[in-house]
Amino acid sequence: MIKVEHLSKQFGELTVLREVNAEIKKGEVISIIGPSGTGKSTFLRCLNLLEMPSGGRIFIDGTDILDKSADVPKLRQKMGMVFQSFNLFAHLTALENLTIGPVKLLGRSKEQAGKKAMELLKMVGLAEKAGSFPDELSGGQKQRVAIARCLAMEPEIILFDEPTSALDPTMVSEVLAVIRRLAKEGMTMAVVTHEMDFARDVSNRVFYMDEGIIYEEGPPQQIFENPQKEKTRVFINRVRSLTYHIRNQNYDLYAINGEIEHFCEKHVLPKTTRNKALLLVEELLAIFSAGQVTRQFEIDLTLSYSEKRDSLELVAESAGDYFNPFEENTLPDQLGTTIIKNLSENMEYQRVSDRNRFSMTVKKQ
Amino acid sequence: MEITVQKESHYVVVKAAGRLDTNTAPGFERECAACLTGSKGKIILDFSKLEYISSAGLRCILSMAKKLRANGGDLVLCSLSGFVEEVIRISGFDIFLPIFADVASAAHEN
Repeated sequence: MIKVEHLSKQFGELTVLREVNAEIKKGEVISIIGPSGTGKSTFLRCLNLLEMPSGGRIFIDGTDILDKSADVPKLRQKMGMVFQSFNLFAHLTALENLTIGPVKLLGRSKEQAGKKAMELLKMVGLAEKAGSFPDELSGGQKQRVAIARCLAMEPEIILFDEPTSALDPTMVSEVLAVIRRLAKEGMTMAVVTHEMDFARDVSNRVFYMDEGIIYEEGPPQQIFENPQKEKTRVFINRVRSLTYHIRNQNYDLYAINGEIEHFCEKHVLPKTTRNKALLLVEELLAIFSAGQVTRQFEIDLTLSYSEKRDSLELVAESAGDYFNPFEENTLPDQLGTTIIKNLSENMEYQRVSDRNRFSMTVKKQ
Repeated sequence: MEITVQKESHYVVVKAAGRLDTNTAPGFERECAACLTGSKGKIILDFSKLEYISSAGLRCILSMAKKLRANGGDLVLCSLSGFVEEVIRISGFDIFLPIFADVASAAHEN
């Protein structure tokens, strides 16, 4: 239905979309997720040419809408758009908001349009508000009118640009319920959203956008349960991390401890977890110092806290020769390694790109 | 870290407060060295105010225990708090070092 190839968009010097390739098939519900500022809304706005792409091609039912000969208004009619800020006509009633488009653009009679509008208002649960002006409606009601208005134009696909972001939390569910119903009825939709439960439950596919591309796409189960790429994993698990680069054997343990304590405090981690993290880092550094066989001393420590899993992961990477202190007879004593083994779980050693990499999860109990 | 040394007739109490880690272990070792000189008695490490210990601290304790025992003396620990106690136990130090609830019980144990 929609095929996007090599889509790019720059605003002056700023590249928002670098190379977007995607396909949306009839009847699919696509959720577009990702951190703020990664081009999700711009991508949606490019699809119906509210933003003119800087490069690439967009095909709707096989027609390139960026081609000069394309009938853009007609192609646009196939796509409805629901905005974060509703964009209702303030001087028209809810009913009039729904009838103006069909009358003026689709050539419907006022009677036909009015009948259809009432059906749609009933469908979104707002028939009794037909005569109300937008100012007299709550945020959730306004957005439901906006969705009904969009449906009145009989679109083949609806693009939702963060439809619940401007709503009070109490009103989010009423709007999502309407979108869920449309999904059930087979409407093709692309939804930019921060509502992860909604994206997981309703979508056929999820696009995770980052770095100006669709960084990872897949069924909700893959994206939410088993993301394949690092940035998706960080986003989905709401991971916050602290990285510390050590380039000298006379490293400042006080400064490192200070950063770890600050990180743990920021994420309200219990004192025992904080102490374990401090001890794991200290022991790892001591072991690396003792086992340093080359002149190069280069260690990168990363502490990552996953809010979703409530777990703290530590990764230590060192440059230089192969060095695995957990092998027998590598160190003068086993005190450090015993402490590490007992305070962590899922410990792994890997030799990656001429670096020694240890990863472990800080034990909770 | 703060270290206070209290000498009694048959034993010495070394009270450590704060953190016993890579940075503070050398200072702790120096302070304790004075107690070890010619000592044949008992040294009680009172860790009631110790909040954190790493393998660097454990090595100091191990070294002190070895020296004392070689001279017929002994090293005992008391008043361990949560995290310090956990580290001492997972390191297996509770197997070869007597641990007491407080200074009084450590002092009266032969």
